[in-house]
This record gives sequence, structure tokens and C-alpha cells, in this order.
Amino acid sequence: MKARILLHGALREADPAGRIELDVPAGCSIGELRERLVAHVREHAPGVGEDLLRRSAFGTRETILHDHEPVPEDGELAVLPPVGGG
Amino acid sequence: MENLHVEIVDRSEAKLNVAAALEFVADPRFGGIANFVGRVREFNRDREVTGITYDLFEPLVLKTFREIGARTLAEVGAPLKLWIAHAQGDLGLGDPAVVVAAGTPHRDEAFRACRLTIEALKHEAPIWKQEHYADGDSAWSEGCSLCDEHREAERAAAGFHGTDHG
Repeated sequence: MKARILLHGALREADPAGRIELDVPAGCSIGELRERLVAHVREHAPGVGEDLLRRSAFGTRETILHDHEPVPEDGELAVLPPVGGG
Repeated sequence: MENLHVEIVDRSEAKLNVAAALEFVADPRFGGIANFVGRVREFNRDREVTGITYDLFEPLVLKTFREIGARTLAEVGAPLKLWIAHAQGDLGLGDPAVVVAAGTPHRDEAFRACRLTIEALKHEAPIWKQEHYADGDSAWSEGCSLCDEHREAERAAAGFHGTDHG
């Protein structure tokens, strides 16, 4: 399946399109997805720090997803770097 | 809850409206109104700032605002009207970035509601800011991780008093 990951904040610099698509196996966990995204960014956007990805959460339009949870069936996600509103 | 108003305002369309916030939380039952406005300031860590770009994950921001509102209502334990608004896009110096207004029967509840809301917003809402400096450079601010394990480590490091982005 495809995971379509919206980029935000400093992670927008990982792809000018503002999103990254990754092929992931069915039942892939968020933790596994994180490792695949780290590998993808290391190859395609080496200027983006790995530490930032490791401190980032994943979420849907509704909720934050934890590492043990599966990638949602529709594959729609956002990666959420550390936040700082206000 | 109908006593809660949440919104995101794109700066290209309008500025945040403080008067509307105060009007919304006004109520004959309420003698205490507290309001917090966060604005773009001229200096941050000795660097001259010319503007800020705010990036928001809109659907989750609005959901988070509603959750914060429900939690604040439960914590203050009094009738409450609450307004939570955040700007999006390119802001100039002095532009309001965030507006929180709380109306309650008494001042203590109003102050507490306002403080609880702005602190939770800063630490939980998926909002990012990119500062633009007078020398032409730009930088995304360091912030609070939304991952549980990192969040706990950050809180411990900060002595539970907050983080470096205030």
C-alpha cells in the first residue's frame, strides 16, 4: 500500500511538493514507517536532520498515532515535527 | 460545546479579531473576563525579527483546540465561555498570532482558564512557526515533541516548568 505523508514545519524542506509517498507493507506500524521515512529522507533530502524525524509524531486529521499503531488503511498521514504555536 | 469558539484565520484574509473574542465570552452571568493575545515581537534571542510564517495542520489543530476547551472547562469547574483562535500564513511585526478569551463568573476562574488554554495550545496543537530575520535568514523554531517518550523527556529536562519556546 501507499502511505501519503503530508509534511509540516521544518520537514517541508524534505520535499518541495509538501508530501512524500512511500510503499509500505500491509499492517505496517507507525514505528516501521518512521524508519522508512528516515531512510527516504537520508537518501533524498540529506539536509533534513534525522533527529528531527525521530522527535516528530505522526497523525491523521483526527488524532496522533503512536509507534505501535498501524498505518491507517487509507494511507493518509501527516508527520508532525515538534510544535510551537502562539 | 456551544460556549466554545475555535478558529484558524488566514492572515491573507484577515487579522485575528480581539473585539469579537471579548464579545463572544461576554455573558450576564460572568463578572470575570480574561484575554491573552500573543503578537509577533521584534526580537527573539537577540535576532531582529521581521515576520513569522505560521504553518498549521488545520483539521487536527481545530480538534486539539476543542479538546483543550473541554479539558479547561472540566478543570476550572465553573461556567465558562472560551474563544481560541490562531493565525495562519505570513504575519508581520505586531500582528496577533493567537487570541484566547475566557468569560467566567469570577476573575480567578477566568485567569486560570486563559492560562490553561494558552499553555496547552503551545504544547499540544500542531502549529509551527518560521521566523524571518532582518539579515534575510529564516529558521523554524524548536518546539515541543508530540511523541510521548520525547515529551516526557522534555518535561523532565525543563523541570516541568515549560520549554524554551515559552
